[in-house]
Amino acid sequence: MIPAPHLEAPASTAQRVYRWLDARFGLGKVVEFARHKEVPLGGHSLVWYYLGGTTLFFLSVQLVSGVLLLMYYQPGEATSYESIRYITARVPFGWLVRSIHCWSAHLMILSLVLHMFSTMLLKAYRKPRELTWLTGFVLFAIALGFGFSGYLLPWNELSFFATAVGTDSVKSVPLIGQWLLEVMRGGPDVTINTLYRFFALHIVILPLVLLAVLSLHLLFIQLQGMAPAMAHQRPDRPGLRFFPDFLARDLLLWLVCLIFLSVLVYLLPYGPGIPGMEWELGKKANPLAPAYPGIKPEWYFLWVYQLLKEFPPHLLGMEGPQAALLVVTVLMAIWALVPWLDRRASRGQSSPEFTDLAIAAIIFMSYLTLKAWDIGGKGLPGKLPDPRSTSWVCAWIVLALSSAIAVLRILAYGQRWMFFSGAALLQVVLNGVFGLDYLISGAIALVLVVAGVVASRRAPALRPGVTR
Amino acid sequence: MNALVPLLLLLGAGPPPGPDDGKLPPSLEKLFEEKGKDGQPILGESDRAYLRKLPLHTRELIAKDVDAVTIGGARHLKALLSLELSSQAAAIAFSDNCILCHTDPESQKPIHLFSPDPKATRSADHLNLKDFVSDVHFRRGLSCSGCHGGSPDKDVMTPDIAERWPKADARHVDRSWIPDFCGRCHADPAFMRGFNPSLPTDQLSKYEESRHGILLLQQKDSKAAQCVSCHGVHGIRGPKSRQSKVHPQAIPETCGRCHADPKYMAGYQTDDGKPLPTNQLAEFKESVHGKALLEKGDLGAPACNSCHGNHAAMPPAVSSVSQVCRTCHAQNGTFFDGSKHKQAFEKHRWPECEKCHGKHQISKPTDALISATPDGLCGACHEANAGDNRECNETARYFRSSLADLVAQRETLRPEAERLASSGLDAEPIFASLEELDEALVQTRTRVHTFDRGGFDQGAKVAREGVAKTEKLEEAARAEQRYRRNGLLVSIGLMSFLAVVMALKIRGLGRRRTHEAEHRRTR
Repeated sequence: MIPAPHLEAPASTAQRVYRWLDARFGLGKVVEFARHKEVPLGGHSLVWYYLGGTTLFFLSVQLVSGVLLLMYYQPGEATSYESIRYITARVPFGWLVRSIHCWSAHLMILSLVLHMFSTMLLKAYRKPRELTWLTGFVLFAIALGFGFSGYLLPWNELSFFATAVGTDSVKSVPLIGQWLLEVMRGGPDVTINTLYRFFALHIVILPLVLLAVLSLHLLFIQLQGMAPAMAHQRPDRPGLRFFPDFLARDLLLWLVCLIFLSVLVYLLPYGPGIPGMEWELGKKANPLAPAYPGIKPEWYFLWVYQLLKEFPPHLLGMEGPQAALLVVTVLMAIWALVPWLDRRASRGQSSPEFTDLAIAAIIFMSYLTLKAWDIGGKGLPGKLPDPRSTSWVCAWIVLALSSAIAVLRILAYGQRWMFFSGAALLQVVLNGVFGLDYLISGAIALVLVVAGVVASRRAPALRPGVTR
Repeated sequence: MNALVPLLLLLGAGPPPGPDDGKLPPSLEKLFEEKGKDGQPILGESDRAYLRKLPLHTRELIAKDVDAVTIGGARHLKALLSLELSSQAAAIAFSDNCILCHTDPESQKPIHLFSPDPKATRSADHLNLKDFVSDVHFRRGLSCSGCHGGSPDKDVMTPDIAERWPKADARHVDRSWIPDFCGRCHADPAFMRGFNPSLPTDQLSKYEESRHGILLLQQKDSKAAQCVSCHGVHGIRGPKSRQSKVHPQAIPETCGRCHADPKYMAGYQTDDGKPLPTNQLAEFKESVHGKALLEKGDLGAPACNSCHGNHAAMPPAVSSVSQVCRTCHAQNGTFFDGSKHKQAFEKHRWPECEKCHGKHQISKPTDALISATPDGLCGACHEANAGDNRECNETARYFRSSLADLVAQRETLRPEAERLASSGLDAEPIFASLEELDEALVQTRTRVHTFDRGGFDQGAKVAREGVAKTEKLEEAARAEQRYRRNGLLVSIGLMSFLAVVMALKIRGLGRRRTHEAEHRRTR
């Protein structure tokens, strides 16, 4: 009997290429890793796992559109503004690329902020993911740096004066403030040297740092996997396979984001027209012209801008801006160190104080941002909006939304620990509704929250862990 | 250096001057002890600080004045220090005995007392010391003696003071001496060259020919304006100073002080024997020129003197009034000169521009002025003076309808340009074209003064081309907008299709996973 020849289907080109690479680079391990990579399920909605991906998507859009802009943009006193005008008016689809770059920048920050707050609320920062949180925090700071440095590049009136105001606050840094200001500006004033620096920062320095930190961030996620829900709320469910199940969902969402971005770019090519979110080119920067009226930074800096305004010229032996920046630095430091401060979460126990801290941060920043937008404070034409009526309207908006969130937290999640958010809201009410000074309102709220926390430690019913 | 001091002394040189420590001489220090009625020191620390900042020689000069009692006490010094003079001006003031005596409240009656606050000391308005030290003459070194005579370095008033001017009772009644008195310097080119070489010296000769000059000098009417009436006395400033009475924006009020006062102007008549009106100032303020000058601050807009002249002020004659307008509105004048109206106006001896636009109350001309109806500007005049004026009325109607069409088209083009700009389209060329159109419209309206269709159409043609060009640019922008919208729709369509395919794939994957899970369970 003649043995039958060994029948084996001939390998396809793709298979042959894979085998060739596998023989050299050991791709099998990567494939094996990908095959077993899972997205944890249970405890909370899957939706929170997408936000990092959408941020990454908008970042990719930024890189591509930024490189396209770079093909025409020429930094220089006589060329920056002119080249942007040329891009939007003459270059085929130049208007589209610029508008995408601007819109995507704001959406990236928005997605990043949501990603950060979702991580905070779900305690995804807990052990062993402390460094993932920290690298994420650094990425957030880099993203803000991108926004700040990119703002000046069109060299128009708005960007020039906003940069002058923005960099001026650096003076408040003790001892090295003036030096730092001059390093940032390339001299005592905002000049074309400042633009050269910001250009280098925007297209070389920050992208390099970003890639390094982002690589670390992503590496940590691959090594440790996505954070599962807290142990006390996690039902035993198998995870969702990352390849291709979750990736397909991710790609679909990215596609939806791209459609959303396209519609925004067409309907609102210069942004929604609210302060801190508009990019109509306007007039060319003129350093000799009087300061542009009503200068406001981009929306994600507005809370700091408003906080600076709330401080008096001098406070406790410090300059007002110095004291305000000290407060911001302390708050940022607390935020960065949350994984180490929240020891209960690292043990897998509930930590309602930190859930409430996130809510308090939202209330604190929302109120300041709304105030900076002059919501409800429209004055007569040609006059500045009335700050009192602004505070009043903003306080009621924040109060209404916070109350709704509080009811939701109590009814849906059974949360009772609300000292931080209560204090933040008290400050809003005292300042906005009763017209008390912002800092005095803050001091009263701070004293009460300390008293409340101390009392809660003595009253077992209010102790963390007893209720969530 | 210290080692050299004995050597220098030995050689006869005085000790080297020490650094100025700002110390006040004892006689000055003593004044700081004087107290007012309220028991408080009259001179305060701010006065001391001011004195300490003065150079040493000026402090010594003031101390010398105190020793010589030309500065009579702390109140007197306080009044002088309140002027906050520069060190140079202080040196001039404190070395001028006229100023020192006539500012001493202890020795002078209010009628002769210069004061920083004339109301408080009941001095006459023209004795305002602050005005005096900012007077253009004082600032150029000409002080009291320059006009009044006398010697500022003498302790007593010399007799020549009384001789230079007419006697007090006569000089206040008959003011005709003033122009000649000012003219002694201002009509002398050689003298004025030493102070302000660019200042004309023909003011006196012009004034003599003016209506004011004729009234004052020939008819001895001392109500007529002379130098002091317009320039003031002790607070005279150059015309560029905002505080000057002859600054362009102050001129209407300066002239109006007499010409808007019916009582003062009673009895004066125009050339044709009618009472001289006094409503010019009120009319001017409402006019396009008045609003430009007084409200918008456009110093290029005409004031009274732009049409009537300064020192040679005269009401412009019928023959010259249009020439006055032409100094600014030259093109309108040229078109008018070449028009049919020129001869007609000359025949009737009508002032040209004024006939349609008015005099002091000239308002911003509108297209509604061109009206062929009997109650309209063209129609009424033609009906009364031109008889069979069918062709003229046709021309007026053509002008009016052409302008109305152009304006209506422009009114629709601008909002559309703004809409396109806000949609993210490049509207710069459209706005540039609209500006050209605006300029062409101005030219077209100017060419109304040709009163001829051909002449008018030369402007209107450019404007019509501007409209067509802007429409074309806007149409191109709209096409670009349609292209963008269609591109968006196609892109969204493709992406949505892809999204649906992916959603189906994800659903398929989900089913597969459920099937796999069930399969695992059954196994």
